[in-house]
Amino acid sequence: MENTLTEFVLVSVALLGIGIYGLAVKRNFIRMLFAIEIIINAANLNMVAFGRFIPDSAGQTLALFSIAIAAAEVAVGLSLIIVAYRMYHNIDIADFRSLKG
Amino acid sequence: MIEISSTPLVIIAILGVAGVVLPVINVIRKEKGSNSFYAVIAFAALIASIGYVGYQFINENVQPSALFSEDVIIDDAFGGFFAIAMLIVAIFTTVGSFNYMRKQNYPAIYYSLILLSTIGMVLVAYSTDLIMLFVAWELMSIPTYALVGFMKKNPQSNEAALKYFLFGALSSAIIVYGISITYGITGSTNIGEVIQGYSNLDPGLLPLALLSVGMFIAGFGFKMGLVPFHQWLPDTYEGAPPTITTLLAAGTKKAGFAATIRIVVLGMVVLNLDWTLALGILAIMTMTIGNVAAIMQKNLTRMLAYSSIAHAGYILIGLAVSPYSSLGLQGSLYQILNHAVMKGMAFIAVTGIVTTLAVTNLDKLKGLGRRMPITALGLTISLLALAGVPPLAGFWSKIMLFGGALEAGSVVWWATWLAIAGVLNSALSLAYYGWIIRKMYFEGETEKRVSEPKSIIAVIVFSIIFLVGFGVYPDPIIKFVEFATPVVSTGFMP
Repeated sequence: MENTLTEFVLVSVALLGIGIYGLAVKRNFIRMLFAIEIIINAANLNMVAFGRFIPDSAGQTLALFSIAIAAAEVAVGLSLIIVAYRMYHNIDIADFRSLKG
Repeated sequence: MIEISSTPLVIIAILGVAGVVLPVINVIRKEKGSNSFYAVIAFAALIASIGYVGYQFINENVQPSALFSEDVIIDDAFGGFFAIAMLIVAIFTTVGSFNYMRKQNYPAIYYSLILLSTIGMVLVAYSTDLIMLFVAWELMSIPTYALVGFMKKNPQSNEAALKYFLFGALSSAIIVYGISITYGITGSTNIGEVIQGYSNLDPGLLPLALLSVGMFIAGFGFKMGLVPFHQWLPDTYEGAPPTITTLLAAGTKKAGFAATIRIVVLGMVVLNLDWTLALGILAIMTMTIGNVAAIMQKNLTRMLAYSSIAHAGYILIGLAVSPYSSLGLQGSLYQILNHAVMKGMAFIAVTGIVTTLAVTNLDKLKGLGRRMPITALGLTISLLALAGVPPLAGFWSKIMLFGGALEAGSVVWWATWLAIAGVLNSALSLAYYGWIIRKMYFEGETEKRVSEPKSIIAVIVFSIIFLVGFGVYPDPIIKFVEFATPVVSTGFMP
């Protein structure tokens, strides 16, 4: 069965919507990080699908770069979360309120 | 083909080697202290880089602002201009940290992260390919997440880092989604081919092109601190170590503008949409909200953070009027260089106050003019320059920006209002800058003078010479800005 480009793009847009919904609704830091990861993966799916249908290899290159960079970003983010958890014993974003003005 | 002696490659080599070698030296020497040793290495690498940029300009090896290239990077005057501004900021940060980092742990990693982030900023300005731009953008961002949270035992630093990370990761996710759509509708990641693809676009794909450009504005706008993407900015600037605030406010913000000029402005020109009005509205919102919020602050760092939001608005005026007036874009570039020095000096002065007196509350600054005369003088001059008082350098860049807006006013009706809003906002900003200056000099009892850190005095003296010198005699910088500014017009094609 042949898949069409439209199907891939629809899945990608659905993932983007899920990611934005997660960011808007959830207040747990790790869940928000998941939501951002879902957006990045939606973009990766887009790139690979476009690269398959153009056809051109740049899409796959871009997706590989994006996956590697997202991994580095998540590593830094999780280490920040661990430091915060040791200090507050909690990773709810609503509880971080020492900076205000 | 990129030559091996081109500026970006040499900067990667110098800063990359220094940035990688610093932690290795730390491991070999098996010690935690001796902050100044690492600082001197980082400082030498940055001076060598800025020297090489200057050398390339003097020997005329630099192409005039050619915004497109077959390669992923191009050694042009536009990138060189931004590289100079960012390297000045990185030097300020390093020199300002001499004293600040003396009591902190892990200085080698700290300076190494600053150098790596600087490579990222410089590469954003030089890149002409979306893949390169994204990699450079992340190389700039990821070290700063760790740097903002560098004070592990300090809850404020940690909270600032979490908020910054969340918005930063969201902005890069939005940018990468925008890149994927752009690649899909134009079939290339090279910026020149993307712009060409936009200009021959199937009308049915126009909404997608609009979505991708909107995502670029949102993604870069997070870093630039444009309203309504600015919520993280005051918290992060307040909680971060003050030296890192210098790097964020004066450095990474400018990388956002470099990327915006390379993609959004040109892409929007060929898409032929009524986009300049949207950027103009963003500019007015950004400067008004930034200045109004700044008036209500009780904390010096937070006030400067809101003033930094307002300045993003001023710079955006030049971008909004760029198709109608070349003077506006020149004013933007000039303001970017000036803002790097002015804001850099202001935050370095804050670093000096934090290290010696450990206060940032405005009420505690009474009598600062007698306790720390040189720091107070530096802060005063940078605040006056930020407000655009003649004959300081900030005056000329604002004149160019507002002049550009007035010139564009003969083509589009709303551009005149941008100039009026800019002048009114400058007057408004003078109110709270003046309030700080009054607190420092005209209030408080007679206090004893305390000794000021020498490294901070060095930064302040350099900045005062820059701001006053180029304020009295601005011709060389204006010529340089004219050389570095790309030509953008409505009949433009790559």
